[in-house]
Amino acid sequence: MTQSKIEKLSSLVDGESIDEQLIDELSTDSELSQKWQTYHLTRDIMRKDVPDVINFDISEQVAKAIAEEPAIVAPKPRRWESLPLIGNVVPLIQQSGQFAIAASVAVAVIIGVQQYNQPLPDEPYVTTNARGDFGTLGVASGVSLEQTRPIQGQRSDAQEQRRRINALLRDHQNQMRLKPQAVKVESTKQEDDTKVVDEEATEQK
Amino acid sequence: MKKQRNKSSRLSSYLRKSLTLLALISCLSVSANSFNNPQAWLQKLSQATSELNFNVSFVVLKPNADVEPYVWRHAIVNGVEFEHLNLLNGPGREVVRVGPNISYFEPYTPPYTLQSSSINGPVPYQLIKNYESLLGSYNFVLVGRSRVSGRAAQQIRMVSHDKNRYAYNLWLDQASGLILRLDTLDLNGQVVEQLQVTSLEITEQPDAYFARIESSELPRVAALNNRTDSALSWQINWLPSGMKVIKKDVRRLSANDGTVEYMMLSDGMVDISVYLQQLPNGLSQQTALKHQANTLVTMQRDSLAVTVIGKLPAKTAGAIASSIGIIPQ
Repeated sequence: MTQSKIEKLSSLVDGESIDEQLIDELSTDSELSQKWQTYHLTRDIMRKDVPDVINFDISEQVAKAIAEEPAIVAPKPRRWESLPLIGNVVPLIQQSGQFAIAASVAVAVIIGVQQYNQPLPDEPYVTTNARGDFGTLGVASGVSLEQTRPIQGQRSDAQEQRRRINALLRDHQNQMRLKPQAVKVESTKQEDDTKVVDEEATEQK
Repeated sequence: MKKQRNKSSRLSSYLRKSLTLLALISCLSVSANSFNNPQAWLQKLSQATSELNFNVSFVVLKPNADVEPYVWRHAIVNGVEFEHLNLLNGPGREVVRVGPNISYFEPYTPPYTLQSSSINGPVPYQLIKNYESLLGSYNFVLVGRSRVSGRAAQQIRMVSHDKNRYAYNLWLDQASGLILRLDTLDLNGQVVEQLQVTSLEITEQPDAYFARIESSELPRVAALNNRTDSALSWQINWLPSGMKVIKKDVRRLSANDGTVEYMMLSDGMVDISVYLQQLPNGLSQQTALKHQANTLVTMQRDSLAVTVIGKLPAKTAGAIASSIGIIPQ
C-alpha cells in the first residue's frame, strides 16, 4: 500500500476528493477497506460522534446470520388461477351441470315412455283373471316390460313374442299372489322323481 | 380270571358314569347357548313377526329396476293380528291383513279380499312363518355377527341341498329376531335381489294406523272356487329336491291367447310357474331371458312351447323344462 494511496483515502474520507479508481479498489482490497473503516472510526471519535456500543463490524454478523437462517421450503404464493386444484374443479362443476341436465332429460323421456305404455284397463291384452272373480286383476303392478299396442292385422313376430312373454310374466306374478297357501311343502320327506311321477299318474286315472 | 372280569366291570361302570356326566354337560351347554343353532334364530324370527308390534321400512333392490320402498307394520289388536304392507313409490300397492283376511288395494283394480294365512309379498312368508317347511330344501348355517341397519345382527346362510337354486344370506336383529336384510345370491355368489331394512321400530302399543282400519269397511272376501286341480296330460320328471307341484290348471291367459296348461311349483322360498301352450310357427323359438330376479326359459317340445318362470338359475329352469314328458293317452 503506497503512501499516495493512503493520502487519497484520507482525503476521500474527509470528502475532499473523489477518486473513482480508489473506490473500486476499496471494494476489492480488504486491507484498504479496513483502513477506510479505521479512518471513519477515528474521525467519529474526534468529532465525539461515537455510539454507546461500538459495533465494529455489522456486515460480517449480518452475513453470518443470513447463512445460518434456515432455507424456506414452502412454495411461493401463486395466483389462484394457476393452482392446479382450482383449475380442475371449475370445469368439473360446469360439466356436472351439463350432465345433470342431460340426465334429467333422460329421466323425463323414460317416464314419458312408461306413461305412454301403461296398460289401459280396456286394452285387449289385459290378462283376464283365471278365476274371473276380481275383474281386471291382470293389470297388476310389478311387471314393467314394454307393453306394445296392437296394430290390427300386421304385428311382427318379435312384437308378438314380447307380448307373449309379458303376458306370461304378468300371469306368474298373479299366480304367486293367488297361490294356495294351505298347501305346505313337506319338511322332512325328500321329494324324489318317481314319487312325482306316481302322483301325476294317479291323478290321471 | 374272576378278578379281571371284576376289574372290567368296574371300568365299564366308570365309563357309564362319565358318559352320563358328559351328556349332562352337553345338555347344559346346549340350553345355555341355544342361539348357536340357526333353527333357534328362525324360531325367534317367526315368533317376533307374529307377536310383536313393529313398524319396519325396507327397500327391495332388483337388477334393472327401480328401488322399491315399503312400509311394513304389524300389531296385535285385541288378540287379532293386523298387518299392513305398503309400496311407497308410484301408484302403489297396499295390502292389509286382519286375521286371516287379506285385502289388496291396487291401481286399475277394484279392491278385493282373499283368505290366506299371510301376505305373499317381498318378504318370503314361509321363511318368517313356517321355517320348518324349508328344512327339506335348504341348509341353514350360522355365519356370524355384523351390523345391519344400525343394529347388531346375526347372519344366517341358506343354501339349497342340491345347489340347484339361489342361495340366501339372511340377517336377523340380535335383540328382537326380526329380519334386517335378505340377499338372494346366484350360483356365482352375485347378488340377484336384495331386501334391506332401513328402519325398525318395536313399540309397546299398536301403531296408530291400525286404529283407523275399520274391518267392516274392507272389501268382502272373494269366494275362490276351490275347484280341484285339472288333470293335465303331461308331467315334470325332474324337480330340485324339496320342490313340489302345488297347483295345476288349464285356462286362457288373455282374450287373444290360446289356452295354456299351467303348473305351479314351490319349495317355500321360490314359486315357479310352468306353462304349456300351442304357438304359431313363427314364434316357436327357444328363449332364455332375465326379468329382474326372474328367469324365463322357453323350450320347444313337439308342437308345444314349454315356459318356466321363476327366481331360479337358468340352468335349473332349463332342466325342469326339458324334463317335461307328455303322458301317452
